Amino acid sequence: MTVPASDYRATQIVVPAKLHGGLDRVVHAAVGRSRNGAAILRGMQAEAEQIVENGYAFRTLADGVLRARLQETASAFRRQRKGSEDTYPEALALLSEAAERSLGLRPYPVQILGALALARGYLAEMATGEGKTLTACLPAIVAGWSGRPCHIITANDYLAGRDAEEMTPLYSYCGVSTGWVSAPMTPPERRSNYARAVVYTTSKELLADFLRDRLQLGLRPEPSRRQIRQLMPFRTPGGDARVLRGIDTAIVDEADSVLIDEAVTPLIISHPQPNEHLLEACRTAHQIARRLTAPADYCVEQKYREITLTRSGREKIEASAQSLPGLWQGAGRREELIIQALTAEAFYQRDSQYVVNDGRVVIVDEFTGRLMPDRTWQHGLHQAVEAREGLELSDPNETLARLSFQKFFRFFRKLSGMTGTAREAASEFWHIYGLPILTIPTHRPCIREQQHDRIYPNQEGKWRAIAEAVMRCHETGRPVLVGTRNVAASERLSKMLADHGLSFRLLNAVRHQEEAAIVAGAGIRGSITIATNMAGRGTDIKLGPGVAAIGGLHVIATERHESGRIDRQLFGRSGRQGDPGSACAYVSLEDELFERFLPGPVRRWLAAPFRKRVHRLQPIAERLRVHAQRAAQRLAFRQRQSVLEMDTWLAEALSFTGSSVEQ
Amino acid sequence: MAAAGRTFSESWHRIADQKISLRSTVRVRRQLFRGEKWYVLQDPFNNHFFRLRPEAYAFVARLRPDRTVEQVWEECLERHPDDAPGQEDVIRLLAQLYFANLLYSELPPDSTKLFERYSRRKQREIQSRVLSIMFIRLPLFDPENLLKRLLPFIRPLLGPKGAVIWLTAVALAFKVLLDNFDAVTAEAQGILAPGNLIFLYVGLVLIKTLHEFGHAILCKRFGGEVHTMGVMLMIFTPLPYMDATSSWSFRSRWERALVGAGGMVFEVFVAALAVLVWAQTGPGVVHSLAYNMMFIASVSTVLFNANPLLRYDGYYILSDLLDIPNLHGRSLTHLRHLVEHHVFGCRDSHSPAQTEREAVYLTVFGVLSGIYKLLVYTAITLFVADRFLLAGLLMAAFCVISWGVVPAGRFVTYLSSNPRLARTRPRAVAVSLGTVSALLFLLAICPFPNRFRAPGVLEAATYVRVVNDAPGYVKAVLVPTGSRVIAGTPLLQLSDEELNLEIAATAAQREETLALRMRAVYESTAELEPIENRLAMIEKKMKNLQEQREALVVRARESGTWVCPRDRELAGTWVARGMELGALVNDDAFRFSAVVSQGEASRLFAGEIQDAQVRLAGESGASVAVGNYNFIPFEHEQLPSAALGWHAGGDVAVSVKDETGRKAAEPFFQIYATLHRRPAVAFLHGRSGQIRFLLHPEPLLYQWARKFRQLLQKRYQI
Repeated sequence: MTVPASDYRATQIVVPAKLHGGLDRVVHAAVGRSRNGAAILRGMQAEAEQIVENGYAFRTLADGVLRARLQETASAFRRQRKGSEDTYPEALALLSEAAERSLGLRPYPVQILGALALARGYLAEMATGEGKTLTACLPAIVAGWSGRPCHIITANDYLAGRDAEEMTPLYSYCGVSTGWVSAPMTPPERRSNYARAVVYTTSKELLADFLRDRLQLGLRPEPSRRQIRQLMPFRTPGGDARVLRGIDTAIVDEADSVLIDEAVTPLIISHPQPNEHLLEACRTAHQIARRLTAPADYCVEQKYREITLTRSGREKIEASAQSLPGLWQGAGRREELIIQALTAEAFYQRDSQYVVNDGRVVIVDEFTGRLMPDRTWQHGLHQAVEAREGLELSDPNETLARLSFQKFFRFFRKLSGMTGTAREAASEFWHIYGLPILTIPTHRPCIREQQHDRIYPNQEGKWRAIAEAVMRCHETGRPVLVGTRNVAASERLSKMLADHGLSFRLLNAVRHQEEAAIVAGAGIRGSITIATNMAGRGTDIKLGPGVAAIGGLHVIATERHESGRIDRQLFGRSGRQGDPGSACAYVSLEDELFERFLPGPVRRWLAAPFRKRVHRLQPIAERLRVHAQRAAQRLAFRQRQSVLEMDTWLAEALSFTGSSVEQ
Repeated sequence: MAAAGRTFSESWHRIADQKISLRSTVRVRRQLFRGEKWYVLQDPFNNHFFRLRPEAYAFVARLRPDRTVEQVWEECLERHPDDAPGQEDVIRLLAQLYFANLLYSELPPDSTKLFERYSRRKQREIQSRVLSIMFIRLPLFDPENLLKRLLPFIRPLLGPKGAVIWLTAVALAFKVLLDNFDAVTAEAQGILAPGNLIFLYVGLVLIKTLHEFGHAILCKRFGGEVHTMGVMLMIFTPLPYMDATSSWSFRSRWERALVGAGGMVFEVFVAALAVLVWAQTGPGVVHSLAYNMMFIASVSTVLFNANPLLRYDGYYILSDLLDIPNLHGRSLTHLRHLVEHHVFGCRDSHSPAQTEREAVYLTVFGVLSGIYKLLVYTAITLFVADRFLLAGLLMAAFCVISWGVVPAGRFVTYLSSNPRLARTRPRAVAVSLGTVSALLFLLAICPFPNRFRAPGVLEAATYVRVVNDAPGYVKAVLVPTGSRVIAGTPLLQLSDEELNLEIAATAAQREETLALRMRAVYESTAELEPIENRLAMIEKKMKNLQEQREALVVRARESGTWVCPRDRELAGTWVARGMELGALVNDDAFRFSAVVSQGEASRLFAGEIQDAQVRLAGESGASVAVGNYNFIPFEHEQLPSAALGWHAGGDVAVSVKDETGRKAAEPFFQIYATLHRRPAVAFLHGRSGQIRFLLHPEPLLYQWARKFRQLLQKRYQI
C-alpha cells in the first residue's frame, strides 16, 4: 500500500441519492421510459455492426502490432484521457479481433451490442445461450484498463470459476489480470484475487467481504477522515486485513435474480452469542403455543403470512403465563413470542423451508433448493423452529453487520447487468438502480413452441397430468426438464415418477455441487431432469446428438411462479440459439399464486367448469393468471421498496452511530 | 410505548455498542397530562420540546457516555421487564432524539448528514412559508430583556388586585355599552367605510400588540422566557406576534392556560377602556379609534381567539384543559380512524384516543371545527371578494387548492399506497369510488326539482277605483270597508259648506232674476231677452251645483267588495275632486302579479316551466295552483306594489331616490298568473306572496353553477 490515496479509494463509497418520490418519481419514470426506447436500440445496433465491420479490418494486423494497439488504448483509458470514452467503439473492434486470436471466438454483432449496452450502464436483456460470458468480458477489460476495480457477479461459485478460466486467455492477451473468488477461499487467497483487475465472484461473497472490510474500519469509516489521520505521523489507520480494493464497476450476470429476487434478503455477518433468556423463552413459547388450536385461538392468514390471536387465544396465553417470570407478565412481549412460535409452526415446513441435518436445522433456499448451512433466521425464529422439531436449541447469532444486496449494489459507481428476463421488472430496475433496459435481439430467431397453460381444478389432477405428460414425452425420446417451485414439489414428483418406474435426475438440496453439470446434461436424448426453477441458472442446456431432429427439449413448469420472469427463465431453457423446443405450464387453481392473489369466489367460479373438463374459461383463466402475477409483483416490489426506504431512514436516523453504509 | 415495537430489532447491532447520552444542556421537566406522568425535554438553544413517556424516560435517563446502549437496555429489561421499550422502540426513540438534536455521542457526528438535514429543514421552512403565504412570520427582535425590565412594574397588577381592576373595568364597560347600544349598532354600519379602514387597521395593530404582550408578560410572570417577537403577515396585513412557547413546559396546567388566555385578558381590558373613552368623547380621531379598538377586540375574541374551533388561543387552552395535546391533529387522526375502521374495515387502524371520553371529544371537536372552519373561511373569502375582487379570487383559488385539490391528491395517494390499507384496499377503493360516484350521481346526473321563486302581489283581476266626483270634506264612511255592496249603494258622505252656500247664493240669484223678469214684463220688454238668458244660465249653474251635491254621496258604481284602506283617517279630511278613496274589488277572479329580475327571465322565457304555484305571505302551508300565466315581454320599472320593494321589507331592490318605493333599481319583467280559488286561502287584493315555478328538473350541480355565475355577474359584471 504505497499509493497514498489507495486507502481512500478502497474505502470511499458513493452514497446513492434517495429514491424519488411524488412528482419527481413520475418525471424520473418518464426519463427511464425514454431510455428504453427502440430508437436507442436501433442506433446502438448500427454502431455495433460498424464495430464488427471495423474489427475485420484488424484481421491483417500482425500480432505484435495488435498488442501494441491494445496497450496504447489501455493506457488511454488508464489515464482517463479526455475523449477516451469516444474511442470505445475502436477499443471494442480491437477486442473482438483479440478475442478471435486468443479464444477462437469472434463476438457476434449482438454480443458487441450487449457489450456497448453494458459499457453505457444499461441492463442488457439477452436470452440464454447468447454468449453472455464473452459479452461481459469486453467492457470488463476496458474497466480493467482504467485501473478501477471491476467485479463480474455470477450466479454461483462454479460459474465464477468457469467463466474466469474460460476468459483468461483473452484477458491476458489484453494485459488485464483476472481472478475469481469463491466461498471456500481463505482471506489471503481472496485478497490476492481481489487485487486483480477483473474479478469474478458471486454477489454473496462480494458483499460478505465488503461487510467484513467495513467492520475492520471500526468507528471511523469516512475516507476523508482516514486520509487525514494517515497524514499525521505515527498514526496508521487500522484495517490492514481488508481484502477488497474498493468497489467501482460491477457487471451483474443474472441481474434480475441478484438485483431483484434475492435483493431484499440482507447479508448478515454474525457470530453466535449465548443467550439463555431467549432460549428459555423460546422453549416456553413453544409449549404454550402447542396448546393453542387453529381457528379458535389464532388465525393463520396465508396471504400475508401472518398470525393473529383471537380473544380466547389471548386468554389462554394469559392463563398459562401467570406463573412464569417477568418477561411473560406483559401482554405485548408474551404474545410476540407466542406468535413467533406459531409462525414457526404454521409457515415453516420441514424439507420445504429447512431440513434437519445432524440435529441442526439447516435453512433450504426455497427456490434453488440449496442448503444454506451458514444462515439462520433472526430473533429467535430459528430457535422456535428448533424447539418445534424438538432439537437442542442453538445459540442465537449476534449481528455484527448487515446489508441488503439492494442497497449494496446502489453503491457502485458504474452498475450494469445482463439477464434473460428483465422486461417485467423494468420500472424497478430503473427506479431503484437507475438501470435502463435494452433488449438485445437473439443471434438466431427463437423457434420454441410455447403451449397454452394446462389448468386443473386441484393439485391432485395437476400432478397426475404432469406425470403422464412426462411419460408421453419420454416415450418419443425427447429430453424433458421439469421445473418445480420448491424442493418439496420436486420430491413429490420424483416419487410419482419412481412409482412409474422411470429413471430421472433430480436436482435437489443434497447434490447442489453438481447442479450445473446435471442441468448441462439435461439435453441428452431420453433424459428426464427435475430441478427447482432457480437451480442451475447460468448453465446452458446443450441438446444431445439427434435431439434437435425429434423436437428438442420439452420444458414443463409445474406451477406458475409469482414472477413471470422466473417462468420465462425456465421456458427459456429450451429453444436456445435457434434450437427447436417446446414449453408448457401446468397450473392448478389450488396453487399458491392463485390462493394468495385471486379472491376465493373467483377461484371457485373458475374451478367449476375445469372440474368437468370444460375448457371454455381457458382464456379468462390465463388472463387472471397474468393478473395474479402482476399483483404478486406489485406487492413484492412494494415490499422491496419499503425495505429500501426503511434502510434509508435508519441510515439517516442512526447516523450518530458513525457510518451510514451498514444497516 | 411498551407493546408498540418488537422486542428484537434487526438493526440493533448498529446502536448496541454506542455510548450516547442526552446532551448536558437539555433540561428535563415532569408534567402531568390526564393524570399521567410525562417528561418534557427542552433544548434551551432553540426552545424545542420533546415529550417522553415515563418508560421511555426511564431508558433515556439511564443513558450515560460511559455505558453502551446494550447495557442500559438490559438494565431496563431487568428492572421493568414489562414496561421496558423493545429494541425497535429504542431505535425509534434514539432516532427521534437525534433528529431533535438532543443526543450526545462520543463519535464525531456524520457531518454530511448534519448538513443535509440542516439544508432540508431550511428548505422545508421555506416551503411551508410559501404554502402558508396567508400567515407569514418574520421574526424581528428578542423582547426578553425588555420584558425583564417591565416585569417589576407590571407584576403587582398580575394578581388579585389586577383581577379586581379588570373586572371593574369590564363591568363598567358593559354597562356603558348597554346604555349606548343604539349608538354602537349605528356606528357599526360604517365600520368598513373606506374612510374608516385606516382606523380599523391602526386599532387592529394596537390591540394585537397588546394581545401578544399579554401572552409574553404572563409567560414571563410564571417564569418562562420569550425570545422572539416579530411581524406576521396575516393575509398580507402586518400584525405583531410573539413566541411564548416556553410556557408549554410549565408544570401547572392553570399557569399554561393563563398564559394562553393572557392575550385575551389584555385585549378585553383594553377594549373595556376603549368603550369608556368612546362613550366620553365626541366624534373625532380618538372617538373613532376607540370605537374600532373595541369592535376588533370583541369580534376577534368571540370569533377567533376565544373560540376553540379555530387554532387560536382558545384552542390551545381547551386542548390543554382537556389534556389532549395536539387536539386538532388527533381529532383528524381519530376521524380518519373512524372511517378506516368502520367504513374501510381496516383492522390495523388505531384511534389516538386512549379513553372513550377522549374519543367522544375528538369526534365532536373534529366535526365541529371542520364545519366552523369552512364557514369562517367561506365568509372571509366572500367578504374579501366583495371588496377586492382580485384578492378574493386569489383567496378562493388558494382555498380550493389547499382544501380541495391537495387533500384529494393526498387521498388518492393514501388509497393507492398506504400500507395500512393493504388488506382492505379493494373495499376502501370501492367505498370511496362508490361515495364519490353516488355524490356525482346525486349532484351531476340525478335531476332535482328545480324551483324558481319570484315575489309578487295578489291583484283582483277586475277592480274599480272609487273616485269622488266632487271635492269635499268626508263626513262619514257609510259602508265599512270589506263589505259587499251592490251598484248604487252610497259609500261615503262628503260635505261641502261652500257648495251649500253657493247653491243658496245661486238660488237667491234665481229669485232675483225671476223678480227682474217680472218687472221687465211690465216695464220694459226690451230687457226681457237678456234676463231670460241670464236665468237660463243661472238654472244651468243651479243644476250643476245640484249634481255636485248629489255627488257628495259617493256611490258604488259596480257591485263588489268595498275596500277603503284609509277609512279611519278619511273622516273629516278634505278630498279634492278625483281622489282615489278606495276600490271596489271584484273577488270572483284574482291574478298574481310577479316580478322577475332580468337574470332569471331568460329561463322563464325559454319555456321550460312545468308547473307553477303561488304561496301567499302568512299562508306558507297552503299553496294555490296557478291556472294560466303569461309574461309581459316588456321591461318595467314601476313595481306593482311598494310592498315588494326594499323600503317595505320586500326582496326587490328599489331606487333610493324614489320616495314612493315603487321604482325598482333595475328593470324587471312582469308575470301575470291567474289563480284557482281555494277556500282555505283568503284572496285579498294586494296581498303579497311568492310564485314558485317548477322548472324542468336539473341536477343540483348545474343549478348551483348557474347561481354562482349569476352571483358573479351580478357582483362583478363578468
